[in-house]
This record gives sequence, C-alpha cells and structure tokens, in this order.
Amino acid sequence: MSYKKNEDLDSGPGGAVMDKMTVFQDCIAGFNASPIQPRKCRVLLTKLTYLLSTGDTFARDESTRLFFSITKLFQHKDIALRQMVYLVIKELATSADDVIMVTSSIMKDTTVGSDVVYRPNAIRTLARIIDASTIQAIERLIKTAIVDKHPIVSSAALISSYHLLPVSREVVRRWANETQDTVLAQKPFPQAAYGGTASGLGIGPAGPASSFMTQYHALGLLYQLRSHDRMALIKMIQQLANAGSAMKSPAAIVMLIRFVARAIDEDRNMRRPLYTLLEGWLKHKSDMVNFEAAKTILEMRDSTDAEASPAINVLQLFLSSPRFVSRFAAIRILNRFAMIRPQNVNVCNIDIEALINDPNRSIATYAITTLLKTGNEASVDRLMKQITGFMNDISDEFKIIVVDAIRSLCLKFPSKQASMLSFLSGVLRDEGGYEFKRAVIEAMFDLIKFVPDSKEEALSYLCEFIEDCEFTKLAVRILHLLGEEGPSTAHPTKYIRYIYNRVVLENAIVRAAAVTALSKFSLIDDASVQESVKVLLTRCLDDPDDEVRDRAAMALRLSATEKPIAKEYLAPESVPSLGALEQQLILYVTGGPDAASVAFDISSVPFISKDQAVADQFRAKTMATLPILGGTAIDSGSGAGSGGVSPSKTPALGEDYAQKYAASLAKIPELQAFGALIRSSRPVPLTESETEYVITGIKHLYKEHLVLQFDVQNTLPDTVLEDVSVIANPSTADDGTEPYVEEFIIAIPRLTQESTGTIYVAFTRPSGEEHAYTGGVFSNTLRFTSKEIDPNTGEPEEEGYEDEYQVEDIEIGVADFLVPTYVGNFQHMWDQLSFETSETYSLAGVGSLSEACSSVIDSLSMQPLEGSETPLQNATHVLKLFARTLQGGKVVALVRMAYSAKTGVTLKISVRAEDERVAQMVVGGIA
Amino acid sequence: MSWFWNFYEFILSLFWSSEMDITLLGLQNAGKTSLLRVLGGGEFTSDSIPTIGFSMKRVRKGRVNIKCWDLGGQPRFRSMWERYCKGVNAILFIVDSADPATLQIARMEFEALISKPSLEGIPVLVLGNKNDLPDAYDVDSVIDIMNLKAVDDREVSCYSISAKERTNVDAVLSWLVSKAS
Repeated sequence: MSYKKNEDLDSGPGGAVMDKMTVFQDCIAGFNASPIQPRKCRVLLTKLTYLLSTGDTFARDESTRLFFSITKLFQHKDIALRQMVYLVIKELATSADDVIMVTSSIMKDTTVGSDVVYRPNAIRTLARIIDASTIQAIERLIKTAIVDKHPIVSSAALISSYHLLPVSREVVRRWANETQDTVLAQKPFPQAAYGGTASGLGIGPAGPASSFMTQYHALGLLYQLRSHDRMALIKMIQQLANAGSAMKSPAAIVMLIRFVARAIDEDRNMRRPLYTLLEGWLKHKSDMVNFEAAKTILEMRDSTDAEASPAINVLQLFLSSPRFVSRFAAIRILNRFAMIRPQNVNVCNIDIEALINDPNRSIATYAITTLLKTGNEASVDRLMKQITGFMNDISDEFKIIVVDAIRSLCLKFPSKQASMLSFLSGVLRDEGGYEFKRAVIEAMFDLIKFVPDSKEEALSYLCEFIEDCEFTKLAVRILHLLGEEGPSTAHPTKYIRYIYNRVVLENAIVRAAAVTALSKFSLIDDASVQESVKVLLTRCLDDPDDEVRDRAAMALRLSATEKPIAKEYLAPESVPSLGALEQQLILYVTGGPDAASVAFDISSVPFISKDQAVADQFRAKTMATLPILGGTAIDSGSGAGSGGVSPSKTPALGEDYAQKYAASLAKIPELQAFGALIRSSRPVPLTESETEYVITGIKHLYKEHLVLQFDVQNTLPDTVLEDVSVIANPSTADDGTEPYVEEFIIAIPRLTQESTGTIYVAFTRPSGEEHAYTGGVFSNTLRFTSKEIDPNTGEPEEEGYEDEYQVEDIEIGVADFLVPTYVGNFQHMWDQLSFETSETYSLAGVGSLSEACSSVIDSLSMQPLEGSETPLQNATHVLKLFARTLQGGKVVALVRMAYSAKTGVTLKISVRAEDERVAQMVVGGIA
Repeated sequence: MSWFWNFYEFILSLFWSSEMDITLLGLQNAGKTSLLRVLGGGEFTSDSIPTIGFSMKRVRKGRVNIKCWDLGGQPRFRSMWERYCKGVNAILFIVDSADPATLQIARMEFEALISKPSLEGIPVLVLGNKNDLPDAYDVDSVIDIMNLKAVDDREVSCYSISAKERTNVDAVLSWLVSKAS
C-alpha cells in the first residue's frame, strides 16, 4: 500500500498533477487522525515539501492550519517522521502565523543526547521559528550545542546562530567564546555513533571525519561577530593562521584567506605581515588552499614581481596536473592575471601552450586567450589559426572570452588588425546568441575607434552583418555608428545604400534608426549626395510608423535650413549627460502636479562634449571587462550582514556630488538666495562610525558662500536630542582677520532616537580676486539638549541637560576649489597654458606608486587623464591631471614620480594654469 | 495467581489499549508543566522554565495511553488554546489557588473558553493547585470564585491539589481515565 503511494509521489515531478488543494486536505485529515500513522504522514509531508520547493505557496491561513495540524505529530517515536516534521516546519516558518508555539516542544528535542539523529534538525528549526523576544530562552541551549563534540550538532548550532544574527545580534554576540573554541576544536565524526544509519545517510566513515566542516562554520560566524571591529579581526586572523595544523578544514582556511584579502585591501599597513601568511599557504597540502592563496596574491593591488612569482610558480605546477579541475582553476587565475600583467605570466608560456590541445575545451579556451595576452606579435597569427579551428566547439560564454581577448590584442598590436578583423567578421557569420554577437560588435566598434586604419573595412563588415541581423538592438547600434562615421569616410555613398536597405526591409525601430543615420549624410558637402539623401528621406514620409515619419520629416526640414543649424540638430557636438538627465527626469516625474505644471527644463542638465562621452563609455567598458583588482568575491562567502566593501577606488567626478545634493539644497529657502551650487565635496566622516552620534560633513561651495552640511545620526536607542546645532569656528588668517564670516545656522529642532537629521551652517566666502582661494579650517562642536526616554511611557522626560560633543575639523583646501574635468587631449591643453610652477616633494610614508597616485588625485581633486591613474611600472610613473577652477579656469598638472624602497616616493609636480596664483595654490596642495 | 492477572492485563493492553487526548490550560505559573511532570511519575521541581508554545507528553495509566498537550499560559498563547482543545477527551484547567489576584483573570479566560461552540460538551476538570501553601483557597472557594456552578452544558469537576506534595494527583488520573472513550 505504502509502496504504491511512493510511486505516486515519484511521478509527481514527471507529469502526474499533484494538486495543491488535494494535498492540503489530505494533510489536514491525515495529521489530525488518531492514532498517528507515521508512514502515511511521512508521505504526506514529502508531498508537501515537494510542492513548497517547486514554487507552490499556501495562503497565510492555509499555512497556519497546516502548521498547527503538523504540530499534532510532535514527539512521535518514529525518527524519520520527526525529521520530516522539522523539514516542513522550516519551510512553513515564514508563511504561517504563531510558529512560536512549537518552541518548547522543539527545545525538548534539542537537549537530548548528541547521538540522536534528529537533534540537528531540531536545532535548525528552532532558529527559524524563534523571535527576538524569546531568543534568551534558547541561549544556553545553543551555547551547549555549539561546543557539542558531535560535528553535525555543532555545525547545526553554528549555522543557526548565523541565521539568528538578524534576529538579535546582541544575544548571538554572547556566544563568541563558544564559537572561538569551536574554530580550533577538531571534531571527528564519531565512527560508530549512528551505527546503521550512517550508511543510510550516505556518509562514509572516511568522508566527514576528514572534512572538519565545523571549523568552517565556526569561522564564518566568528567573522560576522567581529566584523565591526577591525583590530579584533586582525587578531583573529593572526591567531588562526599561526594555529598551524589545528586548522584542519581546507574550506575554513580558504575563508580565512578571503578575510586576509579584505584586511589587506582595507589596511595597507597590514600588507607585509599578511603577505607572509599567504605565501605560507601556497605550500599547504590542500589544492584548494593553494589556489585561493595564489589568487589572492595575484589580485592584490600593486603586488610586486617578487611577490607574484611564488604564486605563479605554484599555479604553473598545477598546469600539468592530471586533474581537469586543477588545470582549469590554475589557468583561469593566470588568465585573469595576464589581463593586467602579461609579462609576469610569460614564464608559464610553455606549459600553457601544451594546454591548447587539452581535451577540455574550457581549459583550451583559457589557455589560448592567456597566450594571446602574454604572447608576442609573432605568435599571434599562429594562435589565431588555432582558435578558428575550435571556435565552433565551444559555448557562447567562452566565445565571448576569446573575442574579448582578441579585442585587447587588437589594441595592443594595431598592425595585426587585418587578420583579427577577418577573424571577427568570420565569427560574426557563425551561429551565436545575442551576448556573443554583442561582444563581437563591441570589439569591432573599438577597432574603429582606436585603430583608424581598420575603419573602412570594419564598417563594410558591419554593413554586411546588418543585412541579415536578427537582433534589433545590434542593428540599431550599428546604424548609429554608420551615421556617425559614414559621412567622414572616403566613399560615403556606399553606406547610404546599406542604410536605405534597412528602411525598406526592417521593423519600425530599425527603420527609425536608419532614417536618423541617413539624415546625417545630408550634411556632406556634395550637392548630388544631398539630393539623393533628400529623395530617400522623402520616400520615408510614407512609412506606416509615426516615429519613422516624424524623424524623416524633421530631417528633411532641417536639411533645408542653414548648415550650422542643421548640424546642431543632426550631429550635435555635445550631448546631455545621460545619468544626470535620467535623474532630473525622475525628479520631474515624481515631483507631483506642481512640478508638472511647468515644462521640463533641459538646460538644468549638464551637457558634455562628445569626447568626454566617449571617454566615459570607454571607462565604463574597461571597468566591466577588466577584473577589478582587490575586489574579491568575498561577499558570497560571508553571507548575511556583510558590510559591502566597495572595491572601486576611482575618484568620482566632483559634479556627481553636486548633482546629488543640489535638489535637497534647493528646497531650503535660506539657501536659495546663494544662487546655483557650484561644487559639493564627498561626505567626510567626522566621528568614528561606532560612536553615540555619527556625523558626516559635506562642503557645498556657492559663488560667494560656503555651506557646511552636517548629517547627524543619533544612534542611542533611548535618548532624544533637541536643538541640535553645530558650532563651526573658522580659523583666523595670518593677518588676524577671519576670512569666513558666519551667516546663519539651520539647526535640527528635534532628533528622535536612532534617526538622522541635517544641520546647515552658512558662511560668506572671502571676497575679492586675491582671496578667492583662501582656505580655512573649521573646528566643529555639536551642541544639543539631551533628554532620556522614560522606558515606561515611551515619552522623553521633561528635563534634559545640555551637552557638547567635539567632532573632527573640516578643512577647506585646494581640492575644494577644483572641479575634476575630462579633456580629450592633454598635450594640447598643456601647450595652451602659460603660467607654470613646479615643486618637488618626497613622500616617505607612501609604499607604492599607485598609492601615491591615488593620494595626489584625492588631495588635488583633479581628473586623471589617459589612464595614467594606474602605474604600469614599479619604479617610475607620470601622472597627468586636469581640472577647472570654480570660475572655470583651466588647470593642468604633470606629476612625475619615482619609487625606491629606501626613500619612498619622490615626486615632482608641474602645474600650468591661466593664472599664477592658481598654479601656486595647486602646487602647494600636496601635503 | 497475581502473575496471571498481570499477564492477563498485559495481553488485554495489547488488544484493548485506548488512546486519549487531553489539554492542560491555565494562566502562566499555575503549575501546568509541573503537574504534568508529576502525573507522568516524575519528580517535582520548582525551577521549570515557562513553556513557550506547547509541549506534549504521554502518560500511561493502566490500559490508557494519555496524550497530554501542555499549553503555555502567557497571554500571547491564550488565543491558541482553542486549536488544541478541539476534539480532545477532556480539558484540565489549572488555577493557582494561593494567588487571589490571578483568579479573577483565570475565571474570565475560563468562561471565554467554555463558551466556544467548537468545544461544546467536552468535560472540564478545574484544579486548584498549590494547596500546600498556607493561604490557599479550599476547593469550595475555588468553585465559588470560578463560578463553576453556573456551568450546565457539560461535566465539570473541581479538585484541590498540590503537585508538589502529590496531593490528589491520583484522583486526577482516575478522573482522566474515566473519560477515556
């Protein structure tokens, strides 16, 4: 009988319909029956799990009914039934009401001897149903389970604690000692404990005994408990790393390595001691650990050649490993590293060449793309031939990797562009999905942009491609490019035919794009071309689609007007900054009826030149394709509550911040009189992030005024702050005068517990030409009246006391007077400007060139140009910077730097500006 | 011949054992969990922790297997009493007879419970626990305070017991067994 039921169940996934309501009714009836039939109930529970895990959901009251009927099954002596009950309750815990009911019953099961098979199930379920008000009741129980000698019980308790973190961090924090003990405890799997069941669970005697997974779980929890305290984390890492063989679990060590990576990323001073640890792990007996250590070393920003070489050597050995997975892991890490520093991977070339014919296509793909990066110009042709051979055998995903490699190769060896272009056009004809085709197209776009020789040929390949292109998006992009580039080629008429074909054959979106592209050809200075474009556009007026007709009509009308006007509309020199445009439009749309009563003001959106748009695109692209150094995939390992550490170290453009704050500042009537916001600084923390009052400061510069914005967060749960203001005292200048004069303070009348408010302090900036760039230091004191909340009534007490709180100073320096701006041609700018000043500095405390670069960029707030923000060599580097002053004057800086281990970084900065004072100020800005 | 009777009982229990469900209700700290422990033959302890939700225990008396659902008495759980009372053979309502302050609340909860249509006709045993304490009410006072005489739609009994001293615990068991169907 029951066998037959099982059969029914098996057919569930296949096709036999398992009706939700039938199962529901069966369950309610089955579970409430007395006496309980364990076998039947198990089958019902299995059906229920199947439904829940395949995406079926029950309404809240149904869930609750199910849940309560399941509680009738508690304490049944059938062990398998108990386990099933726990599994299902875990599923229902989020959807049913009053799940807290089963707490006491489950607690009974969690305190039984550790060799009971359902104890871990009970612990895991307990963590799902408990809430913050009852968590204390299970505290002792979890603590005992964490230190239990049975690995599975201990793991269950550790993982449950992890899930309880969002419920009550404070309570879980009290389990740190037990967790700490467990990290280094070795809990072998008791060989005979489960007797017959061990094999039933599919656990061989050898497997779990050697895995020591509890260490991994305990380490993960310990990290979460300490993640707020950097010193404690460093201590933990060092302690565990020096524990030697006590750390048995390779998975735990891998996680430890990820923590090390993050620590190095956050604190430069820890680099040297932690690197030694990583180097030690390269010799660990577990492959997993070796790979992780090697990967971390190679992903460290600015690792030196000496540091990288042991890691590369280890990976080189794995390249000839008999196991696929080892070879794959090794070549993959090397491939990523080769993208940044191909010369370091050169040593492995012989081993990598052997992998080209690897039976595993994934390994072969990585091998070839790595060689493409490390190889010299001579070997390129040979490699290209080999790639073409197996391009059809690999999946789209790997094809994209190959195409990306080819693209970077094109830019590296422009002379090889012909063979690469023919390769690209070849694969373009192959079968492939959208992502793959897009990668190929992007590669060709880049070729057109950066290798002018290839332009004509690439364009004609693209023309051919759109003749038979199933992807509308790609066709539109190509048509746009044809419109941009076509008119400036030697034979523009050739492209007109291709474009017009699209108008005849394609769907409305492509037709509209084709019309726009076509209209750009009407700007060519050739009467016959203009005439034929006009004829073609006239034909488009009969198009069935509105958009196509509108575009054609507009183009025709414009081509009849004066050339400059037509040019401005058809091929504009500058485009709106798309990010800003989107933001403004969102503000406009969400602004309600008031905002909608006036037309959208396009002039409020900043326009950027085409050069800059291209540069922004290029930067976005390189960011997307290059592996971001230092940003390891640690988040997937640390799970819940991990504070995101942003790996991006690129200095943001100043105007981004101004855009962000402009809207909120404009709402304040007092500030409206100051005119338009020129520049906003990035938020600077003025307190430690764990203090009672967390304050960040932002500087806003107006034409004649300065506004300091203080965001104050009251982190105290039981205190209300009233009349919160900041007393900002400007420093006095050398001649005893105060350059900055305070105008007013906008205080926060009342700051409730655990909330955030904003204070503005406005100053008049020093007037007159000679004082325009006078800096200053503001010492800040938070002043407020603090009132405690009566825990009984929840109301603040009548009487408060006044208090002051000293926070860090805000400094107005060079960086605040400069707006980082992009410019296409550095040399041109440099030659244009006349006033030059230079100065030499020696930075002793700085450990590398890239560190020096980012500190110079930060302190001057200038835009690095031509990719010079990342040094390519370890000894010398030239950094090129550009910015505009608040008045719009141009400033160019050329920073030559040299590094030696003995003296640190020495740099010479030369600044050219329109005004000598500005040049001197910038030179003096490096402190 | 006693061994024969024992054996006879055992054989009977194999074929004729009966199963029954009861629920233990009452305000928090009335002594439900302690009483259940004592009913099951365990030792009395004074340091039991409050029941969160419910806990279930089996008690065996002769041929009757009693499944006892011990429900938490805190206000947040009281709304769920009804769920566990549906279809049971008997309800045990325990009050702390030495704490006059809670008796009025107990009476309100009790009246709310027995007025539920779904629980109609289920026999109720009201137990005045903790009669070992010096100023505990006797059984008649408990009957008065709980207004038990007004209940006419079902069987209601009331005992004064002490889980700590095991006073009248056997009487409770006998009462329960008599309700086995």
